[in-house]
Amino acid sequence: MAVATLVTVARVRHGAVRTLVTVTKSVAIVVPVFLLATFVTFALRSLSGLSPAHIQLGEDATPEAVARVESQWGLDQPFLEQYWTWFTGVLHGDLGTSWVNGADVSTLIGLGLGVSLSIALLAMGIGIVAGFVLGTVAALRRTTWVDRAITGFVTIVSVMPAFVVGIVLVTIFAVGLGWFPSAGYVPLADGVSPWLSHILLPAVALSFDVVADVARQLRSGLIAAYRENYVSGALVRGLGARRIFFVHVLRNAMGPAVATLGLKFPSLVGASVVTEWIFGLQGFGRFANDSAQAGDVPAVQGVLVVSILMVVSFNLLVNLVLARVTPASQRGV
Amino acid sequence: MVRRVLSLPSGRIAVGLLVLIALLAALGPVLAPQDPLATSDNTLASVSWSHWLGTDYLGRDTFSRLLDGSRVSVLASLEVALVALGVGAVPGILSVYLGRVFEWGTLRLADTLVALPFLLFAVAVTALLGNGLTQAMLVTGVLVSPLFYRVSRAATLAVARSQYVEAAIISGASVGWVVRRHVWAKVLPPIAIALAQTIGVGFIIVSSLTFLGIGVQPPAPTWGGLLASDLGYLDYQPWAPLAPAILIMLTVWASNLLADTIRDVSGEAGRAFVTHRRDVRSAHDASDQNATAHSGGAR
Repeated sequence: MAVATLVTVARVRHGAVRTLVTVTKSVAIVVPVFLLATFVTFALRSLSGLSPAHIQLGEDATPEAVARVESQWGLDQPFLEQYWTWFTGVLHGDLGTSWVNGADVSTLIGLGLGVSLSIALLAMGIGIVAGFVLGTVAALRRTTWVDRAITGFVTIVSVMPAFVVGIVLVTIFAVGLGWFPSAGYVPLADGVSPWLSHILLPAVALSFDVVADVARQLRSGLIAAYRENYVSGALVRGLGARRIFFVHVLRNAMGPAVATLGLKFPSLVGASVVTEWIFGLQGFGRFANDSAQAGDVPAVQGVLVVSILMVVSFNLLVNLVLARVTPASQRGV
Repeated sequence: MVRRVLSLPSGRIAVGLLVLIALLAALGPVLAPQDPLATSDNTLASVSWSHWLGTDYLGRDTFSRLLDGSRVSVLASLEVALVALGVGAVPGILSVYLGRVFEWGTLRLADTLVALPFLLFAVAVTALLGNGLTQAMLVTGVLVSPLFYRVSRAATLAVARSQYVEAAIISGASVGWVVRRHVWAKVLPPIAIALAQTIGVGFIIVSSLTFLGIGVQPPAPTWGGLLASDLGYLDYQPWAPLAPAILIMLTVWASNLLADTIRDVSGEAGRAFVTHRRDVRSAHDASDQNATAHSGGAR
């Protein structure tokens, strides 16, 4: 009894330590990445030669007026001082004010973030479920026509860019059949089904890439895991097929598939620029595109900082899941 | 290597498609039957003999615009791949030899670049640094370069620490000979695979950017731009996005297929794979000939 408790305590402690190690390792990588990325982001303004004066006063403003506006924005300060001011602001959650309309950039981004996160997470969910089912079925029925059909389907899906899929979906389901609205967004607070019907098409369009990658990785992972000796051992011990699959094979095979999710998230965030344009959504990606084309440097910098934060926190999550699911990834294998 | 790739049907299909698309890019603007920029009253016409793919909302011939736009799209995706190759592969190989500081620095840099959502960055940086496709492709090339960095670093590490290289050096081989005989053979196939993949990725990025209208001046046609203008007139021409979409997908598919084929045939396992296939086929042919000989004899 006492021994059993001791073992449980040790196991819990071991798990907590492992989680802590993972978090520390990730943070050690994240901090330099974040510093470098924000610095590059900030240096963009100096490289671009853009100025709020040209947006507010037009192209033929007098040099004195330009200088006055630039000093109002603090742009006459030395570069590193500007960076420091901006960076401390970022650490406090203040991303500055937009050059175009003087609004708070954090607020502007917050308005669009709900749309984009709903779509990205739903796309991720669809991708995980569909990719998981396809990959598992293909691996369990390998070298049959089912496997060949799934592999062929996955190949076709993987070469379809999100915006092509988006256009096809709009043409068929919104314009042709009229099952879904072709544009706009309804917040979750206004009801689940209108919310879902507005974001389902863009999420499906984004998910194709995830489906293809998860299915491929899982299929090859499962096939490789089934060849291992521990599977024969489990068979010999008389374990059921279902138990072997879930306890032995799947757990060892899903590492690469989970790891790809970490790489897919940045591309989902990036692709939102295009899909939000197609589906007429006022989200994060649309805001990024609009402010970039308007030359609104603080807004663009804010967008990049937020996107880096999202990617980094998602990767942290993936690493934690990996550490829990596949112990081998802890040893750096 | 090239002969081995071409000995497989998938390799022949991939190379054939890519050659076809390269020809489109080289000759497309010359082949275009009509002026891709000339507008006419005949707007949103359907498919006919004079307009093979109909006309767009300004009455411009879609087929000519498609052909004319191919050069920009193909050149830009090549630029992405070559920039990524240059920026990624060289530090990747050097990171094995230039000491720990360089190694640590470049590894962290690669981590950073991989974490950035590159489409978002490409959009942001291009818009801020001036609206040109060349800038856009430079930025994108740098952002996708970690792939080359990792691939070439891994291959170089494998070679540098292998015993046969050590054995060759001990038996008096020159550095040049080792590089030609051993290093190239190990490093080149993974880089070729990465290059083929990157051309596919680059194509998607170029199409996305031109779709958003970034990097091109409005009247000039691109495949992505054609899709964007078709999108506004889906009610009249629901089939219009088909042609540019299929072209984009074919190119991406051919690049991926080429990458897979190179992976299949490279290395010792690849040589065995190709030889095995050839043996199987010649055995098959021989049995076919036997069969025909028998049936001939019976008759």
